[in-house]
Amino acid sequence: MIDKKFNFQQLMTKFGTLLALALIFIFFSVFVQGFVNPRNLINIIRQIALLTIIAEGFTMCLIVDELDLSFANVASLTGVIVAGFIFSGMNPFLAIIITLLIGGSFGFGAGLLVAKVGIPSLITTLATGIIATGFIYAYTKGVSLYGEMPESFLALGRGSVGPIPSLVIIMAIIIIVAHLFVNNMKIGKYLQATGSNKIATKLAGINTDKYIIIALTLSSLGAAFTGILLTSKLGAANPEGASGFMMDTFAAALLGMTVLNKGRGNPFGTFIGALMIGILNNGMTLAGAPYYMQDITKGAIIILSVTITSLQAKRLEAK
Amino acid sequence: MKTLETQELTKEFPGVVALDSVDFNLEQGEIHSLVGENGAGKSTLVKILAGVYKPTGGSFTLDGKTMHFHSPKDSAEYIGVVHQERELVPHFSGYQNLFLGLEETKAGFLQKKTMVEKSKEFMKKYNLEVDFSQPANKMGSAQQEMLTILKVLFRNPKIVIFDEPTAPLNIEESEILFKLIHDLKSQGLTILYITHHLSEVLDLSDRITVLRNGKVVKTMENKGVKENELITLMISKKLENQYPKYDVDIGEEIFSVSNFSHNKSGLKNVSFSIKSGEIVGFAGLEGSGRSELAFSIFSGKKKDGGEIMLKGNSFVSKSPGDSIEKGLVMIPEKRREEGLLVQMTVKENLSLVHLGKLTKFGFIMNNQVRKFVNKAISKFSIQVSSPLQVVRTLSGGNQQKVSVGKWMGENAYIWIFNEPTQGIDVDAKTEIYKIMGDIAKKGSGVWFISSDLRELIAISDRIYVMKNFEIAGEFTPPYNDEEILTAMLGGKYSD
Repeated sequence: MIDKKFNFQQLMTKFGTLLALALIFIFFSVFVQGFVNPRNLINIIRQIALLTIIAEGFTMCLIVDELDLSFANVASLTGVIVAGFIFSGMNPFLAIIITLLIGGSFGFGAGLLVAKVGIPSLITTLATGIIATGFIYAYTKGVSLYGEMPESFLALGRGSVGPIPSLVIIMAIIIIVAHLFVNNMKIGKYLQATGSNKIATKLAGINTDKYIIIALTLSSLGAAFTGILLTSKLGAANPEGASGFMMDTFAAALLGMTVLNKGRGNPFGTFIGALMIGILNNGMTLAGAPYYMQDITKGAIIILSVTITSLQAKRLEAK
Repeated sequence: MKTLETQELTKEFPGVVALDSVDFNLEQGEIHSLVGENGAGKSTLVKILAGVYKPTGGSFTLDGKTMHFHSPKDSAEYIGVVHQERELVPHFSGYQNLFLGLEETKAGFLQKKTMVEKSKEFMKKYNLEVDFSQPANKMGSAQQEMLTILKVLFRNPKIVIFDEPTAPLNIEESEILFKLIHDLKSQGLTILYITHHLSEVLDLSDRITVLRNGKVVKTMENKGVKENELITLMISKKLENQYPKYDVDIGEEIFSVSNFSHNKSGLKNVSFSIKSGEIVGFAGLEGSGRSELAFSIFSGKKKDGGEIMLKGNSFVSKSPGDSIEKGLVMIPEKRREEGLLVQMTVKENLSLVHLGKLTKFGFIMNNQVRKFVNKAISKFSIQVSSPLQVVRTLSGGNQQKVSVGKWMGENAYIWIFNEPTQGIDVDAKTEIYKIMGDIAKKGSGVWFISSDLRELIAISDRIYVMKNFEIAGEFTPPYNDEEILTAMLGGKYSD
């Protein structure tokens, strides 16, 4: 009897978040009309594509046990920068590369400050985020950028392969690459080791400074790529275009930490977290729930999931 | 009259009996010293009395009443403990620390004036001078100590336990402390005093209890007791085969440090050498500089003088990674904080150092990692349910084997083992000695730091003693325990 109960508890901590996802899905399927049809389901996936991509970058920071508060600002900045390049007639490929470099440099700079100078990442990225916002307004003077964009650029955010939107394909590639990177590559293992115990990792001869810089750079690169895709999707760029990603990204990545009892940032979990956010947003909108109810529900779910994680951690401590 | 009595007090940890049916008592108003080697059970006893640990057997009474403490908070009004680590809030001023948790308020507002006045009044009772307006972190070492003691006394305990109180104090400051302890005694308090410094024990105590391997060896009146008498009682006679010692041909010198100084950690003109196949022990008290020496050389701290030679080349390292590459590895002292990734798996921990060599185009070759890890698990007989077991769930001994095993792939010349057997059971200890023996057999040198003099004597080919961040002596077999202990503890005032 006792043994069975223990197993049930273990199952719950391992699959609890996935089960919650399934329950939410079933709930909306039964009670909300129009939720389960192929078009809506593809719609949900498309809606979470950008969120997933930016959150995968942020997950790299969580893995090394640092924070990035600048990603939304960096995404907004790179969104307007790439728009500016495109409108000036620059080759889209070149525009994307240069924009990625600019975006990535924010994380790289923050990484240097965190690793070499020792400023906490929370403060560093808060500051670099504010600087990014400053650049946005210096560049746009506060107005959105509209104009003609070549089809080759717009295809990134608007195109599709058969019935599958290109954004969904890009998202899938990013998830797979991130997953392989973290779990099957040496750099990924060293990122995990750094986040797990920086001192021990350093004493094992690994240059932890380097991996902190890599993680923050990847976070900014993810943000920059998201900014580019956002501009491509909208065909325009807004100075605050990506600010809405802030909370949902935290939510997705934190929910992701609870998936499969990992207790730490992981790319697959982040996707599940983003999916949960997407389903909640979509289902509640279809059900006609007021916007504020969505926020309240999302907040409650984050608290719940993080509570589960910390209780798990406490139980393990007690062992 | 007995104020405190323990009845068959026992504390077992997985694999270790830290306290074994201890019968011990304190007379009302006496100064009682507790002595014993590291691991003898002194701190376990203190932690039970202070409510940190719950005993696994036996009980204790205060003034005839059986006590069950569930937390240090429960015990504070009966038994005050002046810990080695001072429990002060650094940015709080003296009176704020004194009143911590007992603040005087009126309608929710702190009554600063009243508290400062009461602090001063309270201090007068003990003839102490503490500037209560200063934040604790701006105070000198002695002032902090006095404040800590006042804070303990302020809770009005009947018994005060001092755990190594003189460690951070100089001679004059220690004298002030001893005077205070006598004052406390004359005011009717009962004192339990714990120290490594035997001269202090003989100067201060009314009675002395010697602990060894978790048991009381003897409780005696302090009348005509001699230092070496205590040392003889402290030293345990253990079985020989617990310390496997291999026959190894000792070769030429492979590592030498001459006049090494590192001002920041306080190391001064340290010189020593290690030969091929040699296990070199480093004895000394905590805070004698043993760990700092190993850490500053291994982690590549910039030295302030001296020279280090490894295999005939000048050894200059910029980082742990650099040292490892040059052939110096270290198994750190605090395995959970410095040696292991406790939330990660055995596999991930064991392959961490070697991962670079098990990788192709940046991708980890899982098959090779698996082989490597399985080899390490069997070589070091690590008991795991699977390589995917999370390290946190292993016993201390197995954790330590993982901490050692992760270096398996490295062909280092010098292996630093810093307190490798601390907190692990006897069998696991023996296996760690075997690992060190195997390393020596292969012609590497072992730099073995330990607080357990027994094992140092049994395993080492040579022993250096450190004291006050300097080498205080070098010993070769046959060892004389008393000589080594004297070099380690050596009367604080005699020299």
